[in-house]
Amino acid sequence: MKRLDLIVAEPELERLCGALRQAGAPGYSVMRHVTGLGHGGTVSEGMDFSGFGANAHVIVFCEAQQLESIALAVRPLLSHYGGVGFVADAEPL
Amino acid sequence: MDSSLVLQNLLSPPVLFFGLGLLSVVLRSDLEIPAPLPKLFSLYLLLAIGLKGGMELQHSGLDRLVVLTITAALAMALLVPITSFLVLRTRFDTYNAAAVAAAYGSISAVTFITAETFLGALDVPFDGFMVAALALMESPAIIIGLLLVRLSAPRERGPGLGWAGLLHEAFLNSSVLVLVGSLVIGALSAAFSPAGMARMQPFSEQLFYGALSFFLLDMGIVAGQRLRELRETGGFLIAFALLAPLVHAAAGLAVAVVLRLPQGDALLFMVLCASASYIAVPAAMRMTVPQANPSLYITSSLGLTFPFNIVVGIPLYMAALQRFIPAT
Repeated sequence: MKRLDLIVAEPELERLCGALRQAGAPGYSVMRHVTGLGHGGTVSEGMDFSGFGANAHVIVFCEAQQLESIALAVRPLLSHYGGVGFVADAEPL
Repeated sequence: MDSSLVLQNLLSPPVLFFGLGLLSVVLRSDLEIPAPLPKLFSLYLLLAIGLKGGMELQHSGLDRLVVLTITAALAMALLVPITSFLVLRTRFDTYNAAAVAAAYGSISAVTFITAETFLGALDVPFDGFMVAALALMESPAIIIGLLLVRLSAPRERGPGLGWAGLLHEAFLNSSVLVLVGSLVIGALSAAFSPAGMARMQPFSEQLFYGALSFFLLDMGIVAGQRLRELRETGGFLIAFALLAPLVHAAAGLAVAVVLRLPQGDALLFMVLCASASYIAVPAAMRMTVPQANPSLYITSSLGLTFPFNIVVGIPLYMAALQRFIPAT
């Protein structure tokens, strides 16, 4: 089992989730209003009123063999819009 | 310039609350407004101004002056981003020049609303159709911005937004939708349900001034936070952010004089030309031109041009137009 952590700007969230669904991700969880420090500097909710928003954190658990198709769908979005993704092993309880 | 105009504007509750927000950042206060509230107030202000504008548009009708003013507003919305791009391109790459130019080609609804409040305090009348001009000037710059990128930058293949997505973002983003929708609802209700409009007034008119003041408190905080990023923007962009409103307002004044707009409408027209978007355009540019640095187009429009316009610009434009347009 693999765990994929994706952090993107909120405006791109809908597109990222669409790509995950198309790539056959079995499911995902979304945490909005994620703030902190990224490559572009401080990320805050200060511009939330404009639709610019903070970041979103998307967590995907999937089988190892599904990871390649998910990565193929997600990588172009991350490289075009910015954002990061990390993969780790996971074990169900 | 008449110093009483500046003082009257500077000491009005909305501008003072804006200053308080700025001060809270400078003094490192823990003042913070929870994220959903500014969005709520922003939508409320657009709804209220749209309703009022629609009602007044219904009463005044679409005469020759209305059509000419709206046409001129659209022409400025096309001209300003192109001329701004040519200036900005001397220092920035195509992506950043286009994104900043799009912000300055579009408008700031809150600056417009502050100008309306300023006119109200001076008892200078203005027409509701100017809200239609506001609504129509918001979107074209987004399209011009992307056109400038497509024409000037090498084509990149990627998962970017196509034209359908861009048009959807430009014309159906939440602020444009609420503003245009409220304008239409205001016009229809004024024509067919005046009693319904009267029931809306406690919400859409009596709360308006307080909501504007509260929203400007948050804008002061956000603008203050953005001012910290000025070092990144550089001297050229700082100069552009402070000089472009003056040049665009002067162009707006020239158009207002040719169209023989009354003082109130002329000020609103100048403010529309002079203001820069920090709501619709940044969100659209983020999606359509992700290569551009948001610090540049948000910091310049929100951290510099917006405070300049609401504190100094509005009374300055009023003083300038009083030299050319007599009071009615």
